[in-house]
Amino acid sequence: MKKNRSITIRRSIQIIFLALFVLTVLQATYPFRPWIPPELFLWANPLTALVTQLAGRFFDPIFLIALLALLSPFVFGRAFCGWICPLGTTIDISDRYIAKKKYPSTRKYRPIKTIILFTMILFAVFGIQLSWLMDPLPILWRSIGIPGMAFFFLLSDTVLNGFYNAGIFPDTVLNIQDNISAYLFPVSTPRFPMLLLPFMTILGILLLSRISRRFWCRNLCPLGALLGLLSKFSPLQRAVKEESCTSCSVCLKKCKMDAIEDDFYSTEKSECIFCLNCGKDCPADAITYKFQSPKTMRSSTDLTRRSFIGAGATALFGSGLFSLNALNPSKTDRCIRPPGSLHEDDFMERCIRCGECVRICATSGGCLQMSFLETGLEGLMTPISKYRIGYCEYNCNLCGQICPTKAIQPLDLKEKQKLKVGIALFLKDRCIPFRLHENCIVCEEHCPLPEKAIKLEEKEFTDPETGEIRMVSYPYIEPDLCTGCGICENKCPLEGEAGIIVTREGEERF
Amino acid sequence: MDRRTFLKTSAFITGLSLISNQRIFSKGQEPASLVLVKDGSPEQMADKVFELLGGVSRFISKGDYIMVKPNMSWDRRPEYAATTNPELVSKVVTLCLDAGAKKVLIVDNTCNDARRSYKNCQIQDMAGKAGADVRFVRDSHFIETDIPGGTSMKKWLIHKEVFKVDKLINMPILKHHSLSQVTIGFKNMMGLTGGNRGRIHRPFPEKIVDINRVIIPQLTIVDAIKILRRNGPSGGNLKDVEDLNTVIAGTDRALVDAWSAKVFGKDPKSLEYLQLAYAAGMGEIDTEKYKPVTFIYKS
Repeated sequence: MKKNRSITIRRSIQIIFLALFVLTVLQATYPFRPWIPPELFLWANPLTALVTQLAGRFFDPIFLIALLALLSPFVFGRAFCGWICPLGTTIDISDRYIAKKKYPSTRKYRPIKTIILFTMILFAVFGIQLSWLMDPLPILWRSIGIPGMAFFFLLSDTVLNGFYNAGIFPDTVLNIQDNISAYLFPVSTPRFPMLLLPFMTILGILLLSRISRRFWCRNLCPLGALLGLLSKFSPLQRAVKEESCTSCSVCLKKCKMDAIEDDFYSTEKSECIFCLNCGKDCPADAITYKFQSPKTMRSSTDLTRRSFIGAGATALFGSGLFSLNALNPSKTDRCIRPPGSLHEDDFMERCIRCGECVRICATSGGCLQMSFLETGLEGLMTPISKYRIGYCEYNCNLCGQICPTKAIQPLDLKEKQKLKVGIALFLKDRCIPFRLHENCIVCEEHCPLPEKAIKLEEKEFTDPETGEIRMVSYPYIEPDLCTGCGICENKCPLEGEAGIIVTREGEERF
Repeated sequence: MDRRTFLKTSAFITGLSLISNQRIFSKGQEPASLVLVKDGSPEQMADKVFELLGGVSRFISKGDYIMVKPNMSWDRRPEYAATTNPELVSKVVTLCLDAGAKKVLIVDNTCNDARRSYKNCQIQDMAGKAGADVRFVRDSHFIETDIPGGTSMKKWLIHKEVFKVDKLINMPILKHHSLSQVTIGFKNMMGLTGGNRGRIHRPFPEKIVDINRVIIPQLTIVDAIKILRRNGPSGGNLKDVEDLNTVIAGTDRALVDAWSAKVFGKDPKSLEYLQLAYAAGMGEIDTEKYKPVTFIYKS
């Protein structure tokens, strides 16, 4: 049937874009040779482009591709949400299993998304970038890139290791695992201490559908709000043949977006995502979609003056609070930023917490992790190096290559190898040679620098109890050479806190 | 002192080879158990090593499952001499397969990221082309193994395949190491262990010997083609690399390490782990008493 075919086409396009999106996530891996840029969807996202550039006071021509999506509502309304948005597709898929079969009206929550949008824009005016908090595409990127990746890694590893250990086709299993390692995931299991927050975000968004289908898209998504506002001038429109309509209310009940008014004829233009379901479900075949002159159609601005003022006040006081929210410097001392990071304030304004750097780092050295409250509330989920989990690979500069907003500047390898992200120092109460007067040298042997930033000094040690004299190599650091890559802290054989740590002292930012 | 020892060694080796162009058996009538080859291409030297040792067939039987353990531990290109020469490894792989080996497995538990290290040291590509199974090492590949007679550890995680292969060929590279002065064959076996390997460094000599109680190579081929004089084992500075263009090989792993140390310019008797290995009956370490059969290519 023709009607069903249009639904099939819409679903296929949705799946294609979701697959493309997942592909961009999978592309963020060592060896880095993407055939689609992993940042593509974030560059094409008008909300990210608007808020990040406004808050960061910069212009990057790559964001001009966001104009495509920004101009689309002038022709197609919110079709982006229904046909392209990969988070929308994810929600559609999960709604089949999660959403209740009731159709409650949620119209009263509708303005929330516009308030969120305006709050975000106003915050950006004051220099605070909140795109990371509510922007659907960074949220989806980090959900797939970090918990999603960890989950699939665990699953594939468990299954394949099970086969391997049971001796079932061990060579085939090794082939599969080595191919996975060559193209998708690291060899050793990636570890993330901060899986919960990105996981809870996406889980929360999907579970909102217990209230209504596409609850997020209807009421909360600021990108949807932005496209909705611009849809006012869209000529594409749902049209109902009055002579055929039997007022059965099927369309109204089944509308994913609750966009159909109670008279069955009019549609809220800022809500309709052109999923075409109403046309398919209409028993009287009364619904068509066509281009008409925009003036004839109704639309409403969601935002009242009161909520606009409310958003303004929130942004004013909120951004003030963010700025005044001083962090305890001794707490942030060990929050090492990726090599090439902008100065902290600029970094915060640009970092959209998409998790691309964290994901690509996990396939290489694995030091970058999302912060929880280490860098303050404002720094939630920004990347910091956790050297007990991983270290910065000497021959790797991928985090800067992949950052969509250049919060981490792209550096060529030679430049990065010399760049200081911090300096290591010994905790002499822990370090084995200083504490036990025994040889260890693990940090020294791993130091990747040609001149070695960790050197050894051999000294006589007289055991106070036995009087025995032995030679012990005591390590020391050349602060001018050390770049703070953290391999020493990572490989230190002590349990728990290492005997050598990297602090932000001497870090070079842009 | 280092240089002098080195010069002496070189002079001695040259002298030895001038005296005789034919095989010298170090232990009388048996085939050579220790050989030293110099100044050929890596492929030539690999060939010659096996020839002097009595042919590949002395070590490889038809259908054997072989493990070759080069050093692939660092994300460095071969010229930095932090990893085993890839041409030498590939040639050994080819020789094993030509002699009828069923499969040649190459693994190493790397210090840097495995994918980067395997790629950059070029062994993955070159030995892979030669027909070896170059595999990444995963946590699941290790089994906790009892170490009978272990003085510093009774158990450790060892790569499973070590106990499945018919022959193990150890292919270390001769490098400086700040703890044991040099790192050669015994230390290279650390690449077949798992767990918190930093702990093996304390007390280092005992633990290195203990690991070698359960991982026993039938043949050790030391790559001293380019050696790392300083800042080992990771290196990274071409100034620290020296051309020796030498390959030392043999069946007595302690003796091979002792002779390699001597070639490096260290007195083998000053290496604590070799003393321990000797005491544990793992082989000879007297380089005055046991000399290699030597072959030098004329340029």
